[in-house]
Amino acid sequence: MSRRFQLVLIAAIVVATAFLALPVIAVFTRAGPGELIEALGSDVAVDAMVLSLKANAIALGFTLVIGTPAAYFLALRRFWGRNVVITVLELPLVLPPAVAGVGLLAALGTRGLLGGTLEAAGVRLPFTEAAVVIAVIFVSSPFYLRQAIAAFEAIDANLLDASRTLGASSLRTLARVSIPLASAGLAAGATLAWARGMGEFGATILFAGSLRGVTQTTPLAIYEAFSIDATTAQALGAVLILTSLAVLLTAKFLPTWRPSSSTSASRFDRSTST
Amino acid sequence: MRLLPAVAAAGVAVALAVAACGGGGDGDRERVTVLAAASLTEVLPAVEPDAAYSFDGSDFLASQVREDVPADVYLAANARYPIELADAGLLEEVRVVARNRLVIVVQEGNPSDIRTVGDLAASELRVVIAGATVPIGEYTRAALATLDASDVLDNVASNENDVKAVVGKVALGEADAGIAYATDVAPVRESVELVELPDVAQPEIEYLAGVIASSERKDGARAFLELLGSERGLEALAAAGFDLP
Repeated sequence: MSRRFQLVLIAAIVVATAFLALPVIAVFTRAGPGELIEALGSDVAVDAMVLSLKANAIALGFTLVIGTPAAYFLALRRFWGRNVVITVLELPLVLPPAVAGVGLLAALGTRGLLGGTLEAAGVRLPFTEAAVVIAVIFVSSPFYLRQAIAAFEAIDANLLDASRTLGASSLRTLARVSIPLASAGLAAGATLAWARGMGEFGATILFAGSLRGVTQTTPLAIYEAFSIDATTAQALGAVLILTSLAVLLTAKFLPTWRPSSSTSASRFDRSTST
Repeated sequence: MRLLPAVAAAGVAVALAVAACGGGGDGDRERVTVLAAASLTEVLPAVEPDAAYSFDGSDFLASQVREDVPADVYLAANARYPIELADAGLLEEVRVVARNRLVIVVQEGNPSDIRTVGDLAASELRVVIAGATVPIGEYTRAALATLDASDVLDNVASNENDVKAVVGKVALGEADAGIAYATDVAPVRESVELVELPDVAQPEIEYLAGVIASSERKDGARAFLELLGSERGLEALAAAGFDLP
């Protein structure tokens, strides 16, 4: 590598890092530790964080339970229209969140496509916590699906054949071979989905509205706080940055632990007990 | 590794990016940037199509002015925020530009049969209002208190960020009713109806505007406000349903 080229690369790194890190660092310079703790302790912040964590946990649950088998199927099978299906699943990744909100209203709103059906069943989604969960699933699950499909595709097909040859059912192969082998990719996908879901704003405010303790998630609380006082908004933002950082770091180090545990002998001991 | 040239190169890259954007924005420099209450969304561009607008809740925009956002004119749906900004030396030449009044917005055909504010407290009703810091949200709470109908707040399904979001949720059929300015009904007249509030419940709703102190186009900002106060501006405001200053 020529010296000049190397300098160009370094310059690129410096620009990229400075540009991406500056707003994040700036949030912490405005809100001191005292204000951070004060903002954390306010009722609005607590309600918003509790709601955000709860809605995202439920959303991630649905994403994992439905997304994992769906991704497994898409990774192993080749069928007509497969690319179309995958494109549809990935579309929310590139949709502006406001479009997601408008779409959810058009589909599940009171006057939406399924609104009448839901109304007949006694369900009205907009302005409920369920609407927050649905908005989060819509915008975040594609992150998991994408990673999960890639992770399952990367598994050596011979291992799956071997498992079945040795008498394991398809379900047992998925549970005992595929998921453990894909676990690093699945965890990375779940982390991305979680992070995207925690930050969800546009679809939520359109589809679920904003009511403290019911539908006001942390990003919505930050937006509202900005109207009153920018420092509170930044303190709340700092809290969200710290939690996101914790999630990202966990995800970064998680895959490095996984392989060692999955190849250790103790795993076979446990397999008899489960 | 020598970091200095790298940092210098980075600086040049950023400077180039900024210059590129600045160069592209030459045309914009002629235009007056107006931060205005969401309820003015339809009327202002009709008066002055050549300005750049940012419509949002007056509270949100006031925060932006405090954060030194580059803009020239601030129009709020109340007196409090402009006066606060003027006291802080951030807004100059403050004046009243319009007045408004509150109405109840209901779905077309009034399926929930709402006649008075008291009807909004009926069980199962989904009422949408604006958050407590947006002027319309403050007026709404004041009117409910005047009418001794604060139990309506128990039916509130969402505190929206500005008045347009309130009307939008009713127009979409998600909310049964909302409280908005009389002037916000016109754009969605085919999907909503309005129910008048009694005069005793009407708070004094004054729209105050001023020139942002840090503006670099104060002449343009003044011209904009004068146009709004001219015969043409007042006619447009009256046509949109505003009461005149």
